[in-house]
Amino acid sequence: MRKNSPQSFLKEVASIPGSNKISECIQCGVCSGSCATATHWEYPPRKIIAMVRADMRDDVLSSNSIWFCVSCYLCTAHCPRDIRPANIMHALESLALKEGYKPPTHSPAMYQSLVGSIKRNGRVHEFGFMFKYYLKTNPLAAIKMLPLAIDLLIHGRMPLMPKKVKGKDEIKAILAKVTAGGAQ
Amino acid sequence: MEPKIGVYVCHCGSNIAGTVDVEQVAEYARSLPAVEIARDYKFMCSDPGQDLIKNDIREFGINRVVVASCSPQMHEPTFRHVLQESGLNPYFFEMANIREHCSWVTEDREKATEKAKALVSAAVRRVYYHQALEANEVPINPNTLIVGGGIAGIQAALEIADSEHKVYLVERDPSIGGHMIQLDKTFPTLDCSACILTPKMSLVGAHPYIELMTYSEVEEVSGFIGNFKVKIRKKARYVDEDKCNGCGVCQEKCPWTADSEFDVGLAKRKAIYTPFAQAVPNIPVIDKEHCAYFLKGKCRACEKFCERDAINFEQVDQFVEIEVGNIILTTGYKLFDPTPLTQYGYGRLDNVLTSLEFERLVNAVGPTNGKISLKDGTEPKSVAIIHCVGSRDANYHEYCSRVCCMYSMKFAHLVSEHIPEATVYEFYIDIRSAGKGFEEFYNRVLKEGTTFFRGRPGEVTNVAETPEEKGKLVVQFEDTLVGRQRRIPVDMVILSCGLEPQQDAEEVARLFSVSRSADGFFLEKHPKLDPVATMTDGVFVAGCCQSPKDIPDTVAQASAAAARVLALISKGKVEIEAATAVIDEEKCSGCRICNLLCPYSAISFVEDKKVSRVNEALCKGCGTCVAACPSSAITQKHFTAEQIMAELEGILV
Repeated sequence: MRKNSPQSFLKEVASIPGSNKISECIQCGVCSGSCATATHWEYPPRKIIAMVRADMRDDVLSSNSIWFCVSCYLCTAHCPRDIRPANIMHALESLALKEGYKPPTHSPAMYQSLVGSIKRNGRVHEFGFMFKYYLKTNPLAAIKMLPLAIDLLIHGRMPLMPKKVKGKDEIKAILAKVTAGGAQ
Repeated sequence: MEPKIGVYVCHCGSNIAGTVDVEQVAEYARSLPAVEIARDYKFMCSDPGQDLIKNDIREFGINRVVVASCSPQMHEPTFRHVLQESGLNPYFFEMANIREHCSWVTEDREKATEKAKALVSAAVRRVYYHQALEANEVPINPNTLIVGGGIAGIQAALEIADSEHKVYLVERDPSIGGHMIQLDKTFPTLDCSACILTPKMSLVGAHPYIELMTYSEVEEVSGFIGNFKVKIRKKARYVDEDKCNGCGVCQEKCPWTADSEFDVGLAKRKAIYTPFAQAVPNIPVIDKEHCAYFLKGKCRACEKFCERDAINFEQVDQFVEIEVGNIILTTGYKLFDPTPLTQYGYGRLDNVLTSLEFERLVNAVGPTNGKISLKDGTEPKSVAIIHCVGSRDANYHEYCSRVCCMYSMKFAHLVSEHIPEATVYEFYIDIRSAGKGFEEFYNRVLKEGTTFFRGRPGEVTNVAETPEEKGKLVVQFEDTLVGRQRRIPVDMVILSCGLEPQQDAEEVARLFSVSRSADGFFLEKHPKLDPVATMTDGVFVAGCCQSPKDIPDTVAQASAAAARVLALISKGKVEIEAATAVIDEEKCSGCRICNLLCPYSAISFVEDKKVSRVNEALCKGCGTCVAACPSSAITQKHFTAEQIMAELEGILV
């Protein structure tokens, strides 16, 4: 990208690790065509990229679109320019949170519980992280998950106590570094 | 004669002067030993630039010239010519490349200028020791080898042969015709491909100056421009070409079949076959892999019914050696195989076709006699055509294949023509219709009611989400001009596959000593000013082996290649580089290491003197022998130890 590009929002997004190829997008739309949830998006992923390039900062960060990415990465697999649209959506989510935009989904609570679990145990502890997630969002909703949880418990698929890994401190350091890189 | 050196620093517009302080470089050059004069000028290669050198030679008695400008690839011959015209030996010239090696590789003005000075200093010190050399002349053999019998090879062969010079046309398939003979109509004029090509094919077959070698492959190439020696393998046809009259009874009687290559697997052919009815030559071959006799030792039906006794199961591959002066490579392309794009379902879902399969399907003499039909035999009511499959895609080929937009729109027209009530959808990223009559064709297809959706589909699936989608192929895509994801159910999907280099392009490139560009196609000598020649003198390229292109461009390039060959034939001789190796017979110990190492077989051993000797006509000046000689008995002219040491010194001081 040109150093003196007037598109400040584009520059900002492109500087986030993993989103650096955004200016190479040819707007073919294969990301939106492949997307499993795009029909629910206010703007499909291709359009989000176009809007970033058009410097439509507020429209992008306040739209529900970026929060609907379920990280299936089909867009990234099909993208003919290696743009990695899923990464860009996550970068935008991160940015929106930092700027105080209110997300329309529980995604942040989910991400935070997940990362918190990794921070504590060095790996994901499913029981602990789901417990935390429901506490943060809607504890009543957890009741619906009860039959599944019991099933998993019986089959030993969801231990109640977390298993910790060696090198927890290293994982903490990695997370600290990622957070310092701009992610939340 | 005491060397008087003139140094000329070129601005190359702003290409060099934008980064290198050319005045400072010229100033510096004036301080170097034996430099009489140093100037800088906007464009040294222009007429006024050349006159500058000529004047200085005349007025100041300059007898060595250094030009600090671009790569010698393009302009070394230009400046050598300037010296020659001024009565100097052209080898009293040296070029310093301060563009590709300085200004184009950095934005740091100071460093670029420093390096330019070092390169000029090296060139000045080197040119001081240059010696007068005489270029060798070798005769050009007027015969030409053309490799590949598609439209490019056919065109080039006819142009050369019509001037009554012999052409050997080698084709590895049983017939000439290439991809073009498989096509139905050609865009944008809708000429029937076979109708315009078969007359040319018969001309080739009957031409007194063309020796057609089908079912043959080039095995070995040696020699150099004007004097190539080529070994060709004529694969065993198991049919005597002199006896066979092409009656076709063998093909009728043969009980064994295989998938037809010509019909891209959509139809069957016999084990003894000509690929198609208008094949040139009209002589069948036996496919050993599918012949009952070769597999089981029994049958010989073809032999029994052949009235001319032309079948010969004892035939073996034959090797023919020919001598030619020039070679044209017209080896064509391979269609991209869309199987790896699993999201489009090719090979998994019925009625998902490649473009070449559709060409055969719609062809009047194709497997369905021109009826566009689905696998169950019914006509499609809706057809989706997906552009850019394998092209413009970093995962497969980054380049645009140039023909797909146009042939896709041709398909839309053909569908409307055959099935007027059918709906046709084109899924494109950008429509590229740059060519004579192309945009007009785009308009025509729009007028015919073809629906264009701008969006590269994410998926083709047979999993229905609504009752309308049941039993259909569903194309899921984003209509990017509306900004909505949509699903369109259709009966047939055509994948507009790109063009890619032949599978054995690497081996062919090595065989003929040509390079390939990053995309895998053969590399031309200069992308703009010499798109027909290659880095190997006497080897030319034409058609899709050089880059994807349509028929008009292929024919133009083939004609250009033919013209280049004819120019060489008409001149009758060619100058070859004087920078050859010489052996000091006093120092030669006769160890013969160089004899074995020389890649051009240019060094022979003189038995009675027990020394090696270089044949200057064969030596390409590669320097292998010079480096290998344990007695330092070999010197390469224009690359003497003295010259190279001086050059190094110039860079280091």
